[in-house]
Parts: sequence; structure tokens; C-alpha cells
Amino acid sequence: MDIFPALLSVISDPMLLAAILLAAVVGMIVGAIPGLTASAAIAMLLPITFYMDPLFALAFLYVIGKSGRYGGSIAAILFNTPGTAASAATQLDGYPLAKSGKAGKAMKVATISSVIGDFMGDIMLVVGVGFIAALALKLGPPETFAIYFAAFVVIGSVIGKSILKGLASAFIGILVAMVGLDPISSQERYTFGSFDLSNGIGLVPLMIGVFVLGEVFAQLEERKKAKNAEIEVNDQAGDDNTLTWDEYKPCLPHALRGGVIGAFIGVLPGLGSAIAAFISYGEGKRRATNPEKWGKGALEGVAAPEAANNAVSGPSMAPLLTLGIPGSTIGAILLGVFLIHGIQVGPTLFLTDKELVYRLFACGMLGILAYGLIGYFGATQVARIILKIPTNVLYPMIFLTSFVAAYSARGSMFDVTVMTVAGFVGWLMRKYDFNIAAFVISFVLAKGAEETFRQSMLMSDGGALVFIERPIAALFLAIGLAAMAFRIRTILHEQKIAQGGLGDA
Amino acid sequence: MNRRSLISAAVAGVAAFVTATASVAADWPKRPINLVVPYKAGGGTDAYARAISAAAADVLDVPVVVVNKPGSGGLNGANSVVGARPDGYTMMMTSGGSFLLSTMTRDTKIDALESFEFVAQVGKLQTSLMVPKDSPFQTVQDVIDAAQANPGSLRWAHSGRGGFHFVGGLGFLANNNIEAQDVPFKGGGPTRAALIGSQADFGFLGVQQLAGFEDNLRALAVNSAERDGIMTEVPAFGELGIPFAAVSSPVIVFAPKGTPAEVITAMEAALAEIAAKPEFAELLAKRGTGPVYANGADAKAGLTAMKADAAPLVAGLTK
Repeated sequence: MDIFPALLSVISDPMLLAAILLAAVVGMIVGAIPGLTASAAIAMLLPITFYMDPLFALAFLYVIGKSGRYGGSIAAILFNTPGTAASAATQLDGYPLAKSGKAGKAMKVATISSVIGDFMGDIMLVVGVGFIAALALKLGPPETFAIYFAAFVVIGSVIGKSILKGLASAFIGILVAMVGLDPISSQERYTFGSFDLSNGIGLVPLMIGVFVLGEVFAQLEERKKAKNAEIEVNDQAGDDNTLTWDEYKPCLPHALRGGVIGAFIGVLPGLGSAIAAFISYGEGKRRATNPEKWGKGALEGVAAPEAANNAVSGPSMAPLLTLGIPGSTIGAILLGVFLIHGIQVGPTLFLTDKELVYRLFACGMLGILAYGLIGYFGATQVARIILKIPTNVLYPMIFLTSFVAAYSARGSMFDVTVMTVAGFVGWLMRKYDFNIAAFVISFVLAKGAEETFRQSMLMSDGGALVFIERPIAALFLAIGLAAMAFRIRTILHEQKIAQGGLGDA
Repeated sequence: MNRRSLISAAVAGVAAFVTATASVAADWPKRPINLVVPYKAGGGTDAYARAISAAAADVLDVPVVVVNKPGSGGLNGANSVVGARPDGYTMMMTSGGSFLLSTMTRDTKIDALESFEFVAQVGKLQTSLMVPKDSPFQTVQDVIDAAQANPGSLRWAHSGRGGFHFVGGLGFLANNNIEAQDVPFKGGGPTRAALIGSQADFGFLGVQQLAGFEDNLRALAVNSAERDGIMTEVPAFGELGIPFAAVSSPVIVFAPKGTPAEVITAMEAALAEIAAKPEFAELLAKRGTGPVYANGADAKAGLTAMKADAAPLVAGLTK
């Protein structure tokens, strides 16, 4: 077990521990601020980490990602606005609990469940990743493409309310990813003769633009529309905010199930926390002894999605580290951090930098402990601090920071332009209900998918059979097709119900 | 104004200009020197730049700051340096082979041989023919025989079309009259991983990539007349008597055209001193590379010769 010496070496480094603690606090605050996500914060903090030691940089950003996923629940329970997309499921029961004066109790359930889920995910990662890495060395472009294909199909099937707008968002993401040099022949595409565009669109400026600047614009518009929308912390009227073992006991099976669901969804690239949280919530409600209370303030309804939400974090690192496939936007940025520090992510990572990887995992586990402790005892205080920062100070600061961050990542003014344009695009996409997450994750996955597809074609003289002849590739293609078939069946089923309902009326 | 005063004014003007240039050169360097690397941090050329920066501490009085300006096959950074003020405070360190090839294959006004002053060469990256450890090919001749027996049946991996590994591979194929399908990967690391996983029959990748992977890969030959200075156990095409194209990538420091000659001479001397320091070699040894010093004139001659070798190979590539 490589994790134990790694844990020891991390614990004996006080500076590293301080970085983990700081990351836990930063992540929690960012996650709790409505509209700001952990991946946006990571994109903005990226340039700072260029000057850090690789382990420091990776641990700092990785823990922010974990803690940010948890921080979303603070906003969901206390402010009745999901801090992140993933915590929207937590809000279903979290806010009713807060209204009935049990905010503290709900927060504690959320904290414990997040910690349980996160640890389950990390343990699965630590146990399984070495095995996957050994396997990954045998996976070539056809297998990798099949995994990309499965990821694309699954994103497509969870795309949100409007299938058309969801698909359109994904398509725009793919189109933007095509800008730059062709990965095989190095010919220019969509560059319109511009030298800057021949480098392609950078992920960091694009993300800062879409997630941060777009959000600032949206907030600006909101403020113009409704000036009286004040958020309150609903923790005053608490009858009792302590949590007893008897109260948590019925939540435990939901947290454990959520952990397993989250961990499995995490391994598949492209899905992410929000989907895990909703599946776990649905599954928990289906199996609950008290389904009638779910949605009206059941503690179990907080435990199930929170555990799943955080369990995604660890396993989503597996495809990133072993195959170089970024499973999430956070993963895509971490990939950049590895490259900047000269560490090649992929099957050979475990041959070249095994110690660093296990130390990173150890940092992640300590990060869970850090946000768990801070959250258990101080989540409501964190919420109060956030409310004390006036938005007319906060958003201009974020606005400025995003410009600095976009510029300093590569020292390029062109990136600032990209960020600004992406900001307007992100705002418009929000306004017209396009799916921003589908846009960004398609952008992230498209390049790798195209590259591996065309490599496979070169390897097989243009024969598509290469995907079926290789068993692992065929397996992942089958998973993708099965997911598509399942989704079509559900849609048809829903339509039937809807038609039947109308017929009765 | 009569003719005489005009001449004397002109002389005075020239004299003033000369002294001004001389004074720039005389107290150079008084500010930190920006060394632009037109690749991402973490690559082979970047490692050289950072080693130079670390080892320069007691040779130059000012720090050498590494500035990464990646993109467009190294042309992004080159573009920013070609127009920089020629005062000796902005220079570029680049992988000469890749730089030369990208100026030959892509639409740019930059000429690798003419647009810059050559300061010095401090290192050399060489490509090599490698196969997976469990490959049936034990020698270079095995590869050639298999390819000739079944033209077009073999797959070979490289780190991207247009790079010097690719052109080196093309040269090997062309000189031995064999055909094989290339499969480009993105960069050296993914190419190495693909080769370890037997996704291709052979590959052309940096000989330093073998360091630490001796159990997974077998290097059959390095693409040069003589063995590499660091990876000495790998035979060279030259000693095996196998024809090849002499494409490699000397790591060269360039200065913008018009940089005072005194400054270039001073920097050349400083680089010679840095390249000779043991700590410079130690920093590079971790990555399987080492110092290979040549003065500016020799570096230019080497790159000029390479251009002649590469020209027929890249003629078919996009421009």
C-alpha cells in the first residue's frame, strides 16, 4: 500500500498541511457563494500555482475542488440557492429543514455525509487506480476513443430539460474545440488567417469567461431587475441544532449507497457531481421507508445526494491520471497543472511519478478531514461571513481578478479577448437556458475524441472494425449504446405517460 | 550650412551613435535578461532554459528569467522576440530543429537562419528508433526487412507531423526505401506510452525518453552519425551503416537582429561558461540530456546543413 508512507510524508510537512487547510477554507467559501463554482475558482487561482512546487499546486487545487463540492451544500441549505449545480439536490430537503429551524442539524448531516462519500470515493481510487493504470498501458487509441464515445453519449443523455438546447450547447463546444491546428495533419482550421487563433482557444480563459464573467454579467442583470432580493441565513429559530447518533443512523445507509453511486459515476468521464447527486437522491427516495417525507425536510434526503456529490471527486481522477482523459472541468485544469510542472499524465504516470500521485491522494484525504471539521463546527459562521461581504464589493473584485487570471495564465492579451467574448457567450447561454456545463465538457472532450478516432483510423487503414475487434473498445461502445437506448426508452415512456395523462383529462 | 559643417555634423552624429551603442554594450547586463522559451513549461527545451537560469547565478550579475510563450509550433514566442528591442535583454532559447522545420512548413515571415542572431548552442535533442520491449524486432535491419517484405503494413508512432522526430522518421523510411503508416501522437510522453502499449510497431522519439523506461522499451538506434553523449548504450545509425537524414534539434539561444555585437559576444562567453559548469550537467542528467556547447557561428552552420537535409523531406508537407 503506497498510500501510508505518502500520508506520513504529507503529515510531516507543516507547510503542505497549511496549504491543505487554506484550500479547504477557500473551497468552502467559493462553493457557498451562489453562482461561483469550484472549477471557476480553480481556473482563477491557476496562475498562482505556477510558482509553487508541483505537489503544493496540485494538492491546493485538488482540495479546493473537494471542499467546493461540499461548500455548495451550505448555500443550498442556508440560502435556498444551490451554490453549485450539484447541491441543487441537497436543496430539496435541506431548505425545508432550515425553514423548520433545523438548519444546523441539516448542515451536520450534510457534512458527515459528504465526508463519508468523499472517503469512499478516495478509498476506491487508491485501491483501484494502480490496477487501472497497469491496464491502461494496454489501451490504445481505439479503446480511448470508445471511452470518449461512452462519455459523450452519457452527457448527451443527461443534458437537462431541453434536449435540443442541450445538444446545441454540446455542439458549440465541439465547434469551438475545432479552432486551431488539426491534431493529425497540423493544418489550420477555423483560424481565419489569424495567428493567435492557430493556437486554438485556451481552456482557462474560456472557463473563466463562461463561468466567472458570465456569472458576473448575469448578477448585474439580476440586480437591475430585483433590488430587494435579500438572502437570509435561516439558522436563528433553531430548536436544537445538535445531531444525535439516533438521528443519523437512518441516514447512514443512504450515505453509503450515495457513496457507491457517486464513486461509480465518477469513474465515467464527463458526468460529474450533479448527476450523481440526483441519481442518488432518486434512488434513496425509491428505497426510503418514509418517501412521503422526502422533499419536505427529511434528513436522509440531505445525506443521499451529499454523499454521492462528494464521492465523485476521487474516482474522477482515475481516467485523468491513467488515460489523460479529463472527466470534469476541474480535471481538465488539473491536467494543465501536471503538464506545466513537466509531469506527463497517462499510463506512464505511475512509472514516473508514483510517489507524487499517492502524496496527492493523501493530501486529498487530509483535505476531506479539514473541510469536515471546519464544516461540522463552523458552517453557519462561514455562511454569515459570506453574507457580510456586500455583493457590490465582491463582484467587482471577482471581475478584476478574472482579467488578471486570464492574462497571467499564459501572458497573452489574446486570452483576455477570448475570456471577454466567452463571458458574453456564457451570459447569453444562461439567459436563454443553454447548458453551459455541456458546452464546456464537450469542448474539453472533443479534441481527445477526435485525435484518438483518427489515430485509430490510421492504425487500421481506415477500417471502423478496429473498434469491434478489440474487446475493451467494443465493451465501452456497448456501454455508450446501452445508455443511449435506455435514455430513448425513458423518453418514449415519459411521452406515453404524458399523452395518457392528457387523454384522461 | 556649408558642406564642411554638414560632414562634421554627420560624423558627430555617427560618433554619438557609436558611443551610445558601445555604452549599451559596456554596462550590459544591468537588468534581468528575459529568456523566452516558445514552448510550455516542462518540456525538453524548457528544462535547458531553467538549468541555464539556475546555473547562471554566479556567471552573470543579473538573473536570467525564463518566459514561456507557447503555441504555433514555437512560432508564437519567436514572433514576440523577432520584434523585441535588440538591447540584449530579450533573447530566445528554442529547439533549433523544430524551429527550423516549423518556419519551413508553416506560413510565416520568420526565417530560422536569417531573422535572428545566433548566440550559442547549449544542448542537443536527438531522435531515435525505438520498439516495445516485447517486439520481435531486435535490430534496425529487422525493421527494414519486415517493412520491405510487406510494404505499408507497419505502423510507426511519432510526436506530431512537422516536428523533427517525424522528419527524422521520414528520412529513415525514405533513405531505406521502405513504407510505413505514421500515427501521430501529441508530444513525446503520449508517444512513449503508445509505444510501451505496443500500439505501433516502432516509433521515433527523443533518445532521452528511454531514461527510466529501459524495462518497457528498446532503443534500436539513435538518428545520428555518432552515439548520444548521455544515452551512450544506444548504437547510432552511422555506426550501423544504415542511411538516415541528419535531423536533430540543437538547443540554441537566439537574439533579435541588431543586438550589439559586444552583447552577443558577452552572452556567448557567459553561455560557454555556464554550459561547462557541473551543476548545469547535473540538472539536465535527470532528464537524460546533457550540455552540448557550440558557438554561434558553428550553431548556424549546423542548422544550415540540417536545412539542406530536411528540405526534400518536408517538401510534401503543408505550407
